[in-house]
Amino acid sequence: MQAVFAIVYREYLIRLTSPLWLFFDLVVPLMYLLMFGVGLDRAIGLGIALEGRAVSYNEFFLAGVLSMSCFGSAINQSYGFFVDRDNGIFYEFLTYPMTRGQFLVGKILFQCLMSIVQAALTLSCAVWVLEIQLMWEFLLPLIAGVVIGIAAWFFFLAIFAFRIRRNDTFNTVINVAYFVLMFVSSMFYPLDSVPSWLRTLAMGNPLTWHTDVLRYFTIGLGDPQVIFWEIAGFGLFLIMSFWVAVKSLQKAV
Amino acid sequence: MADLAIEVKDLIKFYEKRGQPPVRAVQGVSFSVRKGEIFGLLGPNGAGKTTTLKILTTLLLPTSGFVRVMGFDVATQSLEVRKNICVVVQDNAIELYLSVRNNFRTFGRFHGLTLKEVEQRMGRISELFGLKEHLNAKGVDLSGGLKRRVQVAKMFLIDKPIVFLDEATTGMDTFNKRSTIAAIKEEATKGRTIVLTTHLLDEAEELCDSLVIINHGRVIASGSTDQVKAMGLKMMYVWLDFEKLGKKTVQSIKKWKPVKLEIKGASVELTVKDEKAALAVVIAARKTGMLRNFEIMNATLEDVFVEIVDKKQEAA
Repeated sequence: MQAVFAIVYREYLIRLTSPLWLFFDLVVPLMYLLMFGVGLDRAIGLGIALEGRAVSYNEFFLAGVLSMSCFGSAINQSYGFFVDRDNGIFYEFLTYPMTRGQFLVGKILFQCLMSIVQAALTLSCAVWVLEIQLMWEFLLPLIAGVVIGIAAWFFFLAIFAFRIRRNDTFNTVINVAYFVLMFVSSMFYPLDSVPSWLRTLAMGNPLTWHTDVLRYFTIGLGDPQVIFWEIAGFGLFLIMSFWVAVKSLQKAV
Repeated sequence: MADLAIEVKDLIKFYEKRGQPPVRAVQGVSFSVRKGEIFGLLGPNGAGKTTTLKILTTLLLPTSGFVRVMGFDVATQSLEVRKNICVVVQDNAIELYLSVRNNFRTFGRFHGLTLKEVEQRMGRISELFGLKEHLNAKGVDLSGGLKRRVQVAKMFLIDKPIVFLDEATTGMDTFNKRSTIAAIKEEATKGRTIVLTTHLLDEAEELCDSLVIINHGRVIASGSTDQVKAMGLKMMYVWLDFEKLGKKTVQSIKKWKPVKLEIKGASVELTVKDEKAALAVVIAARKTGMLRNFEIMNATLEDVFVEIVDKKQEAA
């Protein structure tokens, strides 16, 4: 554990060197919710009819904002491997007394702690500014969902960061993946209203599973049985991504 | 075996790329390093020394062979190996956005030191490497030489039994090179094992108790520094100083097929195959009537190195 905490300490020191970075890291999801969400909420007006209840777009989009910020933070953190490679420190890290798994967990642990603060700010804004009724009894699973989400996406993206040596290629791949994964998911719109081919694709997207689970824990929307399977699927996605990332890291030199 | 810090037997490493024949970087290398020894891994560029070092430091897995560091297998006990080593990699490795002080702190934390312990050791280390006035400077603001100094200094902050230095003094000025060499020697007297790769043979000659010369992924010479030098024991270094150096004189010297020949103004430095050739060169030089001074001595490790590598290449 000493090595894991050493990485957290290192990430903390680096983050302290740029308060602006720290600020944007925390408030970007808020900006999405307040600008994009509120704008669409006004445009849609009466809201979305789902499972026999009318849900405002703000309520619907809250889980999308949380899952989007998990994905965004994971991208930033995985891009850090390229910065470490350019600084030469990446290879030195791999000679430190820790396993490859500990290295990966340490790299994301600080960001997970940040994401808890990020989620707390976003949820506070949702409750007090946008007057969204949160399912408070699900607060702990919701926080766990955010932390697990950011870890899973980080491990998944780390696989590409280790296998792709050029950061411009990595950026292109991630931009395409970001676009496809976000729009072929339940992040921005309910899947009931999309064409069946798109719904089928979206149902196999881990971002849909993650967003649906967060939506269930924020506003209670979703079938518990489906949510159970989505949790199981996302858990499997986390384990598989971690395993492949460790294997890729072992071959990253 | 208990006194061995490193054992390498029949080490083979192939790099495989899809659709291409495998690159044979290391082909059956064997050597051992005793505890407390300064050991040199020498060879020309692309010889396989960095690949060997990467395997020893658990960055790469061997294709086959047996490699133990402090008794631990690099392939199956890599974490235990990493607990016993610290490594200066070939590239500059420094946290660019952290101060030198915080570079020391993070490195110390990774190796189990408390912040208090780091502060205590930082004073001595920063003094030794002339980094005291740079402690608050960020890595990004340091020159290449200073970055390298920080990187090497970090290794002396902790007490791991084995230190690997890959071209550690590259980019350093003479003063820091001297400090680093002195620090390496001091650490070795404390019982630490130092493994270094270098292309600076005078550095290897000054530091190493034993060494291995690798070329094309194979060991071409090994033993104590004196033993390796003895492989070229007959080789002699000759220094000739003339009042005036003419073309004819240079041509007459070249007749003796020197291994190395360097002309600096009116002086000539050359290495010849044996004592007989050295004497013949001096006699020829005297006959010109222009010879002011001369000196004959044993060849340096560099001369031996060049000779051994050349011979093996010719044979190949």
